[in-house]
Amino acid sequence: MSSALIEVRGLQKQYVMGAETVRALRGVDLVIERNEYVAIMGPSGSGKSTFMNLIGCLDTPSAGEYVLNGQPVAGMKDDDLARIRNREIGFVFQTFNLLPRSTALENVELPLVYAGVGKAERKERAAGALGAVELADRLDHRPNELSGGQRQRVAIARALVTRPSIILADEPTGNLDSRTSEEIMALFHRLHAEGQTIIMVTHEPDIAAHADRVVMLKDGIIASDRRQTRVPVGVLAARPESALSEV
Amino acid sequence: MNLTSTREGIGIALDALRSNKVRAFLTTLGIVIGVATVMTMAAAITGFRAMVMENIEAIGPNNFIASRFDGTEIRFSDNHGKDPWEGKPALTFADAEMLEALPAVRTVATSIDVGGEVRAGSRAVGSVQIMGRSADWVEYSRGDFLQGNNYLGVHDQRASNVAVLSPDLAQQLFPSGGAVGRSVRIKGREFLVAGVYKLKDNIFASAMKNWVVVPSTTAIKDLDANYDWMDFLVVTERGFTQERAMDDVTAALRSARGLRPAEENNFALIKQEAFKSMFDRLTGVFFIVMVVLSSIGLIVGGVGVVGIMMISVTERTREIGVRKALGAKSNEILWQFLVESVTVTVIGGAIGLAVATALAGLITATTPVNATIPLWAIFASIMASGGAGIVFGLYPANKAARLDPVEALRHE
Repeated sequence: MSSALIEVRGLQKQYVMGAETVRALRGVDLVIERNEYVAIMGPSGSGKSTFMNLIGCLDTPSAGEYVLNGQPVAGMKDDDLARIRNREIGFVFQTFNLLPRSTALENVELPLVYAGVGKAERKERAAGALGAVELADRLDHRPNELSGGQRQRVAIARALVTRPSIILADEPTGNLDSRTSEEIMALFHRLHAEGQTIIMVTHEPDIAAHADRVVMLKDGIIASDRRQTRVPVGVLAARPESALSEV
Repeated sequence: MNLTSTREGIGIALDALRSNKVRAFLTTLGIVIGVATVMTMAAAITGFRAMVMENIEAIGPNNFIASRFDGTEIRFSDNHGKDPWEGKPALTFADAEMLEALPAVRTVATSIDVGGEVRAGSRAVGSVQIMGRSADWVEYSRGDFLQGNNYLGVHDQRASNVAVLSPDLAQQLFPSGGAVGRSVRIKGREFLVAGVYKLKDNIFASAMKNWVVVPSTTAIKDLDANYDWMDFLVVTERGFTQERAMDDVTAALRSARGLRPAEENNFALIKQEAFKSMFDRLTGVFFIVMVVLSSIGLIVGGVGVVGIMMISVTERTREIGVRKALGAKSNEILWQFLVESVTVTVIGGAIGLAVATALAGLITATTPVNATIPLWAIFASIMASGGAGIVFGLYPANKAARLDPVEALRHE
């Protein structure tokens, strides 16, 4: 057994829809080491959302093994999965998914509430995480008082605050304009440089280009898995708007 | 479960209430009405009871009544077809004299009532309470002579036609005043008015306005009062306890009637306590009715809570998904929504309590009843509304707790 952060063997997932059984994943093997920056790509229906739900411990596989940070999670019960999600995984969603009536600070505190961290430490750590995403001056703002990029940065602070093994980002720039997308990608680069493992699900090649490794799913299996030299930050943002609109 | 999530749950609930005021109002309306109704009734009954008790106390805590049988016992069956007084001899004037000789007894006033018409000249008042009393009735009663005086013991002995009027009766018969020394006709017989007597203010006094007191001997001789139903109003001598006086009266009556130790008393001694317990039994029935009514109110309110909480869960499906993704266990979600529904119902209960307080104030201001909400009722209403929140919040909260995180996150 290696010391890999994520080790997936023969992972399968089937859904029963009426009389039909949909095989969303048909046997996926994947090893992700610590401090990797991986993009998972694939057309819709390729099984990438299913794969992300399994990696994120939001769902359990029909068959196969999944070892996350040394813990076999494939057969875990709901409450144990909740604990694993809380400790090991920091989610970043396309639609940010902040609680609308809570302030930035309260939103970032939320995973620490479920981790059972005391109030004083919680506030301090949440403020620290917001500082790390350069929002130290927006602690008391509610989501509707923040721009899209700021909201996503709050969400990233929320993902970071528990010091998770992996950041799992699902189309993190899907609701952002290109300039703001570059900001977020720059932030991901910085986090990665600091040692964070990042797994990013995207269908945009421009965004996937930021990762060190691209895993392509197709019809429920891995079609390709290649390492690449990542695009330097700022290249895409520097491109003229007309070029972007053609993409 | 930790305190933080409770406080957070209350905060979320308050936010939810604020952001949808009309819905929140409709949700809590059933609970508000239920609690307000019951608390107002509790306040009114408590106030009324306090007033009754005060009046009973005012009669004199050491006084008691000797009677042929105990009329304060509420009977729902007819006691196997027997009348409660069967086999029990009537009390006599001789008994009264014998009891009055006891050291622990200060006075024994004989008491026998009839009803009838009282006239003065062309004026007539019907359905007057005609109270046959020996002259020492004033010792048992609380009040003052507004005019004139009481009749004397000698009038008892002679069965004289003398009368003491209530202020209301005197006013109606002699509107220009000066009743004393005039004559009235009670059930056709002529009586001389000796005085006008005002009972100390109490609910019994205000309930019964027209009455006249005459010697009990006269009531029997001239006014068709039935000797068989005479009671004794017994006043305990100073320096003796009521218990002692009652023991002595019991012993004296038993020995006079030749009762053997194994035989039961064939008479009844009725303390003020008996009136209190009679009243308590009546209000007890009332309280049961109230509890039933309030339960119905809470159920109706609770159904509203279920509906509104279901909407809240559906609206916040995505939020539930996010919370689960961030590590919330099922129990923590369940707790959050339970806290929310309890917050809603307890706020409803508190509003109901405020409404009831206002209504109780209104009752106190407009009636002689001093309506105050008893402390236990405040506690009970908050507990009951909180309980309704738990019971009716459980189904929606459980639905939220069981949501699949993947489905919940996908929810639009």
